Amino acid sequence: MRSTRYKTVGALIAVASAASLLAACSGGAVKPSDSSANPSTSTAVSDTFVYAQNLEVVTDWDPATSYSNEGIVMPNVYETLTRYNPATQKVEPLLATAWQQSNGGKTWTFTLRDGVKFHDGAVLDAAMAKASIERTMKLQGGASYIWGAVKTIETPSANTVVFNLSYPAPIDLISSSSYGAYIYDEKAGGTTAFKDFVATGKDGGSGPYTVALWDKGHETEVKLAAFDGYWGGWTGTHYKNVEYRVVPEVTTSWQLLQSGDVSMVGRLNPQIFAEAQNTKGIATSVTSSFQNLLALYNTADGPMKDVRVRKAVRDAIDYNGLVSALKGGVVQANGVVPKGLLGFNQNIVQQQNLEEAKSLLADAGYGPGGNKLSLTMTYAEGDADQQLFATLLTSALQQLGVELKATPLQWNAQWDRAKSADTAKRQDIFVMYWYPDYADAYTWFINMFHSADPPFFNLAYWNNAAADKLIDSLPALTAVTPPLAQAAYTTLQKMIIDQDAVASVLYVQNYQRAYSSTVQNYVDNPAYPNVPFVYNMAPGA
Amino acid sequence: MGRYLVRRLAQAALVVVGVVVLTFIVVRLLPGDPAAAYAGPRASPEDLARARELLGLDKPVIAQLGMYMSGLVQGDWGTSLHTRLPVTHDLSIAFPASLELVGTALIFAVLIGIPLGLLAARFFGSPVDGAVRLGSMFAAAFPVFLLALIVQNTFATKLGWFPVAGEYDSKLDSTSPLHLYTNITIVDAFITGNWPIFLSTLHHLILPALVVAAYPIGVVTQMTRAAVSEEASLDHARLERALGFAPGQVLRRFSFRPSLNPILTLLALVFAYSLVNAFLVESIFNWPGLGNYAVASIRSLDTAAVAGVTLIVALAYVIANLLVDIAQTFIDPRVRLS
Repeated sequence: MRSTRYKTVGALIAVASAASLLAACSGGAVKPSDSSANPSTSTAVSDTFVYAQNLEVVTDWDPATSYSNEGIVMPNVYETLTRYNPATQKVEPLLATAWQQSNGGKTWTFTLRDGVKFHDGAVLDAAMAKASIERTMKLQGGASYIWGAVKTIETPSANTVVFNLSYPAPIDLISSSSYGAYIYDEKAGGTTAFKDFVATGKDGGSGPYTVALWDKGHETEVKLAAFDGYWGGWTGTHYKNVEYRVVPEVTTSWQLLQSGDVSMVGRLNPQIFAEAQNTKGIATSVTSSFQNLLALYNTADGPMKDVRVRKAVRDAIDYNGLVSALKGGVVQANGVVPKGLLGFNQNIVQQQNLEEAKSLLADAGYGPGGNKLSLTMTYAEGDADQQLFATLLTSALQQLGVELKATPLQWNAQWDRAKSADTAKRQDIFVMYWYPDYADAYTWFINMFHSADPPFFNLAYWNNAAADKLIDSLPALTAVTPPLAQAAYTTLQKMIIDQDAVASVLYVQNYQRAYSSTVQNYVDNPAYPNVPFVYNMAPGA
Repeated sequence: MGRYLVRRLAQAALVVVGVVVLTFIVVRLLPGDPAAAYAGPRASPEDLARARELLGLDKPVIAQLGMYMSGLVQGDWGTSLHTRLPVTHDLSIAFPASLELVGTALIFAVLIGIPLGLLAARFFGSPVDGAVRLGSMFAAAFPVFLLALIVQNTFATKLGWFPVAGEYDSKLDSTSPLHLYTNITIVDAFITGNWPIFLSTLHHLILPALVVAAYPIGVVTQMTRAAVSEEASLDHARLERALGFAPGQVLRRFSFRPSLNPILTLLALVFAYSLVNAFLVESIFNWPGLGNYAVASIRSLDTAAVAGVTLIVALAYVIANLLVDIAQTFIDPRVRLS
């Protein structure tokens, strides 16, 4: 009997051993160690800021091609020439202390900050700034398109960088981009190619923190440690360590925040956020983002080719009802451009008007006594806010005798259908979010409202030569004469929303943050979505 | 035994190949473009074309399947679209973590379920039996995600007896770095004598493992009760009682061993079931196992990763069943492998 027991246990252990063997054979023999590990100084709780993120943190460590979730880490490790301040709607100095444009916005001269060191000890100069931007342009990955206007880069002195452009563009704004605009030491890896060097979880940045640990697949995926040689210095109170924990489940993030295991949660659902607002020891903030939800109307085919039908749908939307149903998660939009960006115009207001909608439909031959109208709409699967919009619009259109077939789809499927070569398969209404890669409203217009064949993001299929011309003029106007750019944006938005009813802007998302009340000086900057600029924050009691 | 093993391994290989082919085709048939998931939402047409070529999506599905199967044979399980790392690398982290959780849960199931089943069989038909049956039915039927939330909220958040989530205290990475041999944290911590991480992992493991164990405990209890009771009603048990053995002795010494066969078979089935059932628990307790990885893979139409998860679960199921079959021959001389 005894030997049998041993065999039984042995069988169970064998299962575990076989799997372990498989695991051991397939890699990972040594757990990545915390390269900054200094037990005596680095683990004090009050010095460590822990951020809970619902998705994996890092996909690409290369600052040239990075274009994913790691955007929440990179600005703490790498720096750009400028940084955007949404309160002033202007860019502010970062690695560059001054800049000026000339030649009608086609030449930009930047003066670099003195005394900036990279994490490997190298000192920033103009040649390094030029090399990193040229490498980013050459790799053509991520958001490298932002440098599309750059023809050449010159370095007349050790601290001067001159951009020569092929057409006028706001390089001061572009240089503040949250993706693709980082200045880095491409020789940080020595003989190892920079891409391979950073792929192991090392960095070539000049920011306040350096990568101490990258443990892909584990709960605490990234750890950053303070860089002693940071040009901003470490006087005053700062966090010395930063941790990014992957916590997919919102309820678990909330529990971890309450228990003090994390300092901040990137995103909670509205119900839990409401609870957080009334929880002792938890601070909250609400900030309007640069991300808005748009309904793009099919201007090329089907019943919505008729502008009267598009206007009727636009007027059927209960904009106020949607905002109040989402309980603080969103604010009403004033046109295409969100508040905080050049081009925002608070006088552009969208309101539900069912009587007007009914009249427009009757004019178009639909409604009582007329033809039956059935529309199709696609939106993102799993997005409760978009689902709510679909429900509200279905109900509003039903009152007008219009049937709406709203289909939730995964983004890829939604996008595939919208770009189908068979135009009859395309939807009548396409719902999608949009946000800028850098603080410039141009991205909405060039991507969604400029004509393009075949369609890419212009899923209203709008083709308007006058609008195209105006859109093409925006970069130069923004670079040289911002007031004229503001006027052009206003004209375009009126064309898009009022005149041609190409799209409706349903709302602007709010960032709802919940964090420990010990976290001081937290400010959301919508130009850098979800980025906690940890250096600017301070641990409190 | 040799011929039996060869036949079983051949059957297992067929099952595994079938599962992989089916998974691959089903994921490929889902609407959506994996290249778009790989290249990101703002990818240009050129980026998409590059991604399609890189991922081999520009080839027919059958050719893609052929390339995937050929890679599998050579140990290349493909590259994950969402992590951009080899699937074997991802699984080498996620699977041991799941194994750690489910293994602990099965230990709980054996240590709690079998004694409870014996207790119920010993007092068959009594209120004790009724209470055990009710408890085990409740454990097996209670929704695991709800149980996880209740347990977490009560014992971690409210009472503070256990950590809310995670595998171990990440601060220990600095103070007590862990050397990995099996990638199963608690095992590596034990064999390297890293007691801070061992104790921290144990502390973090108890709540999720108990939640995952709820179903196995329920079914093992029921199965033990049924098998032992049936064995105790046979002629040999009547003879043993007539010879003066106490009822408890009859159960422990003569009825329990022949009852182990169905219990072991059940454990093998429960093991594979629990690997998948643990996905929800892993999500709630933020356990870095297969669950989170599988969900992220499905969301991004990550065929290689989804097929990898399916393959490893299928392999675990097949190996566990094979080992149980072999173990039965040692436990019960009546069982012959043929």
